Amino acid sequence: MAVYKKTYRPYEGELTASWSRLFVIPRYAFEDLHRSRFLTVFYIASFIYPLICALIVYVEHNLSALKLLNLENTSRLIPIGVSFFMGLLGWQSMLALFLAAFVGPGLVSPDLVNNGLSLYMARPFSRTEYVLGKMSVLVILMSLMTWVPGLLIFGLQAYLEGWSWATEHARIAAGIFFGAWAWILLLSLMALALSAWVKWKPAAGALIFVLYFVAAGFGATINGVQRTHWGHLLNIGYLVGRIWVALFEGANKTTNGAVFFRVPMGEELPMWSCWLALLAVCGVCLYMLARKVRGAEVVR
Amino acid sequence: MKDLWMRQIGGVLRLELKRTAFSRRGWWIYCLAAAPVFISLMHWLIEIQHRSHSHSIGEDSVVFAGLFLFFFLRGSLFFGAMGIFSNLFRGEMLQKTLHYYFLTPIRREWLVAGKYAAGLAVSLMLFLPSVAITYLLLGRHFGAAWTDYLTHGPGLGQLGSYLLVTTLACVGYGAVFLVCGLLYKNPMIPAAVVWVWEALNPFLPTVLKKISVIFYLKSLCPVEVPAPPPFSVMVIEADPPPAWLAVPGLLAVAALLLIYAAITARQTEINYGE
Repeated sequence: MAVYKKTYRPYEGELTASWSRLFVIPRYAFEDLHRSRFLTVFYIASFIYPLICALIVYVEHNLSALKLLNLENTSRLIPIGVSFFMGLLGWQSMLALFLAAFVGPGLVSPDLVNNGLSLYMARPFSRTEYVLGKMSVLVILMSLMTWVPGLLIFGLQAYLEGWSWATEHARIAAGIFFGAWAWILLLSLMALALSAWVKWKPAAGALIFVLYFVAAGFGATINGVQRTHWGHLLNIGYLVGRIWVALFEGANKTTNGAVFFRVPMGEELPMWSCWLALLAVCGVCLYMLARKVRGAEVVR
Repeated sequence: MKDLWMRQIGGVLRLELKRTAFSRRGWWIYCLAAAPVFISLMHWLIEIQHRSHSHSIGEDSVVFAGLFLFFFLRGSLFFGAMGIFSNLFRGEMLQKTLHYYFLTPIRREWLVAGKYAAGLAVSLMLFLPSVAITYLLLGRHFGAAWTDYLTHGPGLGQLGSYLLVTTLACVGYGAVFLVCGLLYKNPMIPAAVVWVWEALNPFLPTVLKKISVIFYLKSLCPVEVPAPPPFSVMVIEADPPPAWLAVPGLLAVAALLLIYAAITARQTEINYGE
């Protein structure tokens, strides 16, 4: 065929359904992540704590195990309630932060550095789908670390303790689910935004830690110097912990948050301010993503 | 020969200062250094306006001690040193410019020394003024009483101790992160491990406490800060090392790490493709 006859012909094969296109991204991302031995070991090790929790729940309801430990006369080995599940969520969420710092920076920055974004955008694939696809990598991994084991352990406890326990403590299940989602969404947005703006992966990972730990220190400094509690608004751990306490216990507060997500007694900020601060962080992250995730970039 | 080596180190230092100091990439490190200055400035302005005298100079010095321990030592100095020093070699690997240095007739040891000196100069240039200005501004609203505290009281002595600790922190963490940047493709992982280790220091047994930088730095701080309530029960007390041991000890550890970095640099081969 002569060259001049080779005109444009659209792709005629089967198209992937538009709703599932974004899942192409996690499919390849998981393949990449699987190659890292460190990440695989870290991810497997992150399930040790939920396993211990499940074991505690099981031992609590196993008479022969309690006899073996000479604990059959004690009423409770470890009280399984709000503190137990919030502790589990707190610990797992901290591991999720580490995971986001290791995985997150490698999601967007390589596409930007190698000018690969235009290859995505040249296809029937929107910017929103791109961001959601990249986000789903973190969301899936972190969900499996946080609320999935949390709800499984809640289910195990409900199964062993009885239906009445489950209905009585339904708020805990809701707290695990919604509390974990609040943290996961915040962390994913932060990781993606930093990945888009900081091209060097280790620096982007370090910045996630800086935002979490150093901002908390900065907030504590403001509290110390100005003799106020409003500095906690810069402490992401505090904000999330405050929201968790409200989700788990409502107005009848008995705990001071989870491990790593403490809300010091007497230093509680109004709930609206905590939500507002978290929404502001998410808004800034979305703005940063919107500025960077573009099919074409003008380089001056 | 020594003259040549010194000139070579000086050359590397000048080049690295141009590259590292006040580069756009390091914006977050400048924010880390400027943040406490901003807070103490706000404190000064607010207290001058209110004239409330709700606290004493002593309380402010304890507040600064807490700020120094929890913000400077565990936060900005640690992460700042990480950003500056781990970037010295790893940054050039990423930009694919390290081979220019390796092709020049300079011993790798002097290259490491020059780069380290540049990193140290930048970190000291950022954090020493930050600590000093924060300290001086924090009590400025006390007026003449503050000046008296500085000149006739323990004020200047305390400031000197904080500046010494800042310098030692830059020296110690700098050496740690220079080695991390040379050895690891992703210095984030060892940095996270070091950070967790340093944060756990108050709760570690006495023997393990000594294998950290912060243990020696804390012992040189002039004002002690008690651990906040939920953690205070878990703290394991240990005798702080005397200053004559802490200062040379830290310098010796930093020197050992630098020697190790120099040996590693001698054996380094570049393969940008990996």
